[in-house]
Amino acid sequence: MKRNFRILASAGIFALLLMALYSCETDNVQTLPHRNWQLVWSDDFSGAAGTTPDAAKWKFDIGVGPNNDGWGNAELQYYTNRPVNASLDGNGNLAITAKKEVYAGSAFTSARIKTAGLFTQAYGRFEANIKTPWGPGIWPAFWLVGSDVDTVGWPQCGEIDIMELRGQKPNVISGTVHGPGYSAASGISKSFALENNRFDVDFHLFAIEWGKDYIDFFVDNTLYQRITPGNVNGKWVFDHPFYIIMNVAVGGNYLGFPTNQTPFPQTMFVDYVKVYKEAE
Amino acid sequence: MKNSKSYYSITVIIAFLLMAVSCERKLDGLELATYPTTPEVFIDGFSTGLYYAAYGTSKVTAFNVDYSVKYKGTASMRFDVPDTTDPNGSYVGGVFGTNPGRDLSAYNVLTFWAKASQPAVLNEIGFGNDMGASKYKVTIPNLTVNSNWMKYYIPIPDPSVLTQEHGMLFYSAVHQNGRGYTFWIDEVKFENIGTIAHKTAGILNGQDVIKNNVETDEEFQVSDLYASFNLPTGVDQKVSLTTSYFAFKSSNPAVATVDPTGKVKTVGAGSAVITATMGDLAAKGSLTINSVGQSVKPTEPATTPSLPAANVISLFSNVYTNVPVDTWNTHWLYSTAENQDVKIKGDDAIRYRNLNFVGIEFSSQPIDAGDMTNFHIDIWTPDATSGKKFKVLLADFGADGVYGGNDDSNFEVTINSPPLASQQWVSINIPMSSFTGLKSKSHLAQLVLSGDLPNLYIDNVYFNNSGPTTPTTAAPVPTYSAANVISVFSDAYTNISGTDLSPNWGQATVVSQISVAGNNTLKYKGLNYQGIQLGSAQNVSAMSFLHLDFWSANSTALNVYLISSGPVEKAYKLTVPTSGWTSLDIPLSSFAPVNLSGVIQLKFDGNGDIYLDNILFRK
Repeated sequence: MKRNFRILASAGIFALLLMALYSCETDNVQTLPHRNWQLVWSDDFSGAAGTTPDAAKWKFDIGVGPNNDGWGNAELQYYTNRPVNASLDGNGNLAITAKKEVYAGSAFTSARIKTAGLFTQAYGRFEANIKTPWGPGIWPAFWLVGSDVDTVGWPQCGEIDIMELRGQKPNVISGTVHGPGYSAASGISKSFALENNRFDVDFHLFAIEWGKDYIDFFVDNTLYQRITPGNVNGKWVFDHPFYIIMNVAVGGNYLGFPTNQTPFPQTMFVDYVKVYKEAE
Repeated sequence: MKNSKSYYSITVIIAFLLMAVSCERKLDGLELATYPTTPEVFIDGFSTGLYYAAYGTSKVTAFNVDYSVKYKGTASMRFDVPDTTDPNGSYVGGVFGTNPGRDLSAYNVLTFWAKASQPAVLNEIGFGNDMGASKYKVTIPNLTVNSNWMKYYIPIPDPSVLTQEHGMLFYSAVHQNGRGYTFWIDEVKFENIGTIAHKTAGILNGQDVIKNNVETDEEFQVSDLYASFNLPTGVDQKVSLTTSYFAFKSSNPAVATVDPTGKVKTVGAGSAVITATMGDLAAKGSLTINSVGQSVKPTEPATTPSLPAANVISLFSNVYTNVPVDTWNTHWLYSTAENQDVKIKGDDAIRYRNLNFVGIEFSSQPIDAGDMTNFHIDIWTPDATSGKKFKVLLADFGADGVYGGNDDSNFEVTINSPPLASQQWVSINIPMSSFTGLKSKSHLAQLVLSGDLPNLYIDNVYFNNSGPTTPTTAAPVPTYSAANVISVFSDAYTNISGTDLSPNWGQATVVSQISVAGNNTLKYKGLNYQGIQLGSAQNVSAMSFLHLDFWSANSTALNVYLISSGPVEKAYKLTVPTSGWTSLDIPLSSFAPVNLSGVIQLKFDGNGDIYLDNILFRK
């Protein structure tokens, strides 16, 4: 499954017809500003089935969080670096799989990978082509964290959630930023819904375009949210390099807990991740 | 009266005219009938063509349109589930159908809103029940509802087949813990919702079921058919389906065939895998038939028992009235035995397969076998018996007649090979005295068969005794004319004079004459052999038969001989033991080459205690 929405450096002003997504709306055309993107980092997850993601690009987070509190969110899973939780599927995708299994005292396992210490960047376009998992309490995410988190702490480091989905609403994703004074439930956020479709039946391209005084959020190249320093109730901290995180959490404060009706296992498939810089 | 009759005539004429018109209609250019695609079933009232039919045995007044409680609009459907004691019916159920049928092929789900006066479980709700074949029935069993309005979804597994569906909604519900309650359903309609996804289908509950040691002609039904969908809420909804949604396939029709209704028939030896598809979707689950082909089985029934019914307590036999047996397979833990009732040339038998051990229980009416001397069972096995064992265990539940109570006892008797034999009926008679560990035989409640013969046919399972050891009635008095009789020993005729009933031939037999019901009877106790020396040589060549009456409860071998000088003798085998007196006329030709003009002696040999009467030659 490869769908290439390549936005090449030569792309000019482009307009998209969005009949499928906004069939009820009369204005189906978006006019976006000219940006000239150059690809600087990517992973298309090609490789043999069962192999773990490229160690030169990704590190694993292991366990239940540094404070044993479910990564600050009361999440229920234990993150491992086992191929059953994160590996290539042999069809050009990364598969991050949440399983219902007792492991190291947790009721579920899953995986969380990040580029911390391997790749960070300030500004540019960050995108991933993803097919989400589903089910109550399933929480897939594609997000960025300020690389100074270890020195200044969270939320001072900043966080940009490019895609988060609550499995009990498989047709709705959210894009959010967190910073000092606007973190956790006070994060600046907006949702994007597919009216008669779901994010778990096909791949969709989730992206942000990030400049000095704006962060634009896209689904399938449709801009649905722009956040600027004027929107946040605190310091604008999106001015330094961030790293990428991808994970599937189970349960937690954000969305509530899985039920016995939640189908397991649940897998997030990532076709590719690409990072661009704006050419001068 | 007169008027209405004339109206009737007019109606008939009009109808006739209409028929005449319709007959002239040309078929050319006719289009396929199309059916309405109306999605609404019940929004604020019955949609066009909708009717309601309550199940005949339900409380038929339970359904009403409710104009005060509703999710939306002006009305909902209210169902009043009765208490379990309601004399008008103890459950609610019925069908909402349409005429004509509707084309639902553009929809993928039936949705409705529902709530109840208390948390409850609706036993069945679905669509596709047309009160007829209900070919495309879809059911959600045990749908939970609570006191809040919630939206429910019944996905359509394969919309393409629902082009003229009559069954819009059906339901049934019973009380909760004996007490009735009320539930409401509103905004019932078919929809096409893109947020329902991840359709899967399955047979046999999605399991891969394997049947080993299947034999030709064995049949199976593929059941537990379902489809599952992920709802807009992220949870899966499973629906139970009829076979019409599936196409079944056998990987090897030479081994097993499957028909469109999912009925599997084994036709040969080998392996076949039955799978199914729903549209383009492969169904989860399969049925693997590992067939051994035709089974090796008895072609003839076991020998018919000949013991008098009075001497038998039968558990299983076509000859006797059987006592109640609770089960021929208790399916105890670790027992792998499967039982099957079979007929062998019309005679009932029980077949066991995979028998490691099997419990047979008659504890609800324990058997008093205190007067019985033997346990009998006929067995037939296709298995090789060399070095194998067959074990019979009897369990007595003691004076309290129930399991436990410190008065139970049991004992197991092992049968070796021989007498065990392969592919033939083996009659097993175990003296009750062999069950040495049985403290009592008056409350027998269980029989356990085990050993190393996994394949077994059994028949004629009974306890028996040999009945009275001496005859209690006299032998039947013969009625032949004295002129046609030369009598050796009978009260009815004049016997040959000078006959010695106990000549000393060195025998061990003890001979006596006893009176049985006033009739003089000859008794051989502990027969090995015994002669009768006639008072004079007899010419019996004018006679046709040797007649005799004999009785034995314990003999297993008995022959009678005629002897002429020489001596020339010839034996004739008599069937023992007897059930009562056996009266026999033996053609004298059977005794050739004995000289019938000069018969001088008779002789018996065999074993047991024999009673004889009316030994005579007759025409």
